[in-house]
Amino acid sequence: MRHAFRLILTFLKVNLQIALAYRLDTLVNIAINLMWLGWELFSLSIIFNNTDTLGGWGVGELIALLGVFRLVNTLMAALIWPATEKFNSSVRDGSLDYTLLQPANSLFLISFSRIVIWRVWDLALGFILVAAGLSISGGTWTAFSLLSFIVLVMTGMLVIYSLWIVLVAATFWFIKFDNNVTILQALLDTGRYPATIYPPWLRLIVTFLVPIAVATTVPLQALRGDLSVGQILLFISVGLVAFLFAYQVWRAGVRRYSGASS
Amino acid sequence: MLKIYLRLWQVNWSEQWQYRANLLMYLLYWLVSPIVYLIVWITIANSQGSVNGLTANDFVTYYLVLLIVDQLTSDITIHILAYKIQDGTLSGDLLKPIHPILTNTLVNNLAFKALTLMALIPIWILLSLFFRPDFSAVSWSSLLLAVPAVIFGFLISFLLNATITCLAFWTTRVYSISEFYYALVVLFSGQFVRLELMPPLIQQLSQYLPFQLFLYFPIKLILGELPPQLIMRSFIMDVIWLIVAFLLFNWVWREGVKRFSAVGA
Repeated sequence: MRHAFRLILTFLKVNLQIALAYRLDTLVNIAINLMWLGWELFSLSIIFNNTDTLGGWGVGELIALLGVFRLVNTLMAALIWPATEKFNSSVRDGSLDYTLLQPANSLFLISFSRIVIWRVWDLALGFILVAAGLSISGGTWTAFSLLSFIVLVMTGMLVIYSLWIVLVAATFWFIKFDNNVTILQALLDTGRYPATIYPPWLRLIVTFLVPIAVATTVPLQALRGDLSVGQILLFISVGLVAFLFAYQVWRAGVRRYSGASS
Repeated sequence: MLKIYLRLWQVNWSEQWQYRANLLMYLLYWLVSPIVYLIVWITIANSQGSVNGLTANDFVTYYLVLLIVDQLTSDITIHILAYKIQDGTLSGDLLKPIHPILTNTLVNNLAFKALTLMALIPIWILLSLFFRPDFSAVSWSSLLLAVPAVIFGFLISFLLNATITCLAFWTTRVYSISEFYYALVVLFSGQFVRLELMPPLIQQLSQYLPFQLFLYFPIKLILGELPPQLIMRSFIMDVIWLIVAFLLFNWVWREGVKRFSAVGA
């Protein structure tokens, strides 16, 4: 555990140095990021100029949802995209050998060696949006609903991370499958709005097939008190099972891998 | 000249056809937002009867037409040209006795459009079966009038995008500039919602900007919601912006090529 922690610190340091070499780009990226945040809030204001609720959710709750959405988006942009890029090319050209030979868990190394560091800023914005949204909505929440909210956000991230592992591990079987993560990114935009307004077929897709809603809508439902204790426990166990399953798929894939050069 | 275009069409068509799996993913990616917006607005319209006098069907027809029009007038120039300027492969194109942008890049755009449209049509039919739009307001004359409007929209969008892409002759941050441009498109074109629901300031500005000519004007034209004098006015804007965009592009391109010294040459 201490070993893993020190590795993450080293990765952060290396990636920070990379980011510092491109200071102006980092600033431009943050400016663009802020611009889109402005647009997102503006589009919410247009919606709520015309209505008081969207599927029973008020403006504060949608701002909080936007915050959770941006947390998931940060996970994608800061970790998953750069890791995928590196992984796909390393399976194709055989340089994955060097990762597998290192004395640490291969999945751990693949997941965390590349971090887009300026996205930390996005993470902070996500938390601010959640807090601001909650105070605007003025709802009453208990220690229990807050706790289940936090746990379910982490569960949702775990579910998406597990799906990513499976998609990426598929590359071991289908080398040319380098579109593996696009499906995840494509449906991500559905996370901006509560999944309860979607027609059943779309709700099924974003809950079970590509579980964006599990990471965005579900935690907020818990916070609003829409979920029973049983449902909350169910989501948590689904997250854990998904991760264990994904990890087995990963290991089976690594066993199959034979190195492109050999 | 026509022979050149035909030949370029064959080359670009087969080039795009190679990447059909990527294309399908791109299409999926691009479809999600309009469908989500559509669902958001019909949810609101259904829960309170109407939004500012607009019924659920007004939103369904708007976004279903938008799916087609956006595919016809949008443009991928930045993705097929910027890297050529940056890594120097443009020099090969410059040697040919034809204008590389107004021939090859243009035709590549069209081939991409034709292919994505082929994939979009079955999806569009499925969506229509699900959302059951009432298109009774659409007439043959409005569809016919929309043809020039869509062509104008695409040409203006293409020339403006090509102009921005050509800034790659000066700066490496051309993708960031393009993202700012795209934000303007989102704000003023009617992509998020019918411009009627936008704040008055945005509506007024959009009348003078080119972006609503890509989406809002052709869509409203097809839906038969525009009075004749507004149609005339918009076509005049089309002509003005086409001329402006062409002059702008020509100038940036000429100055850019003068500066261009290919990497490795």
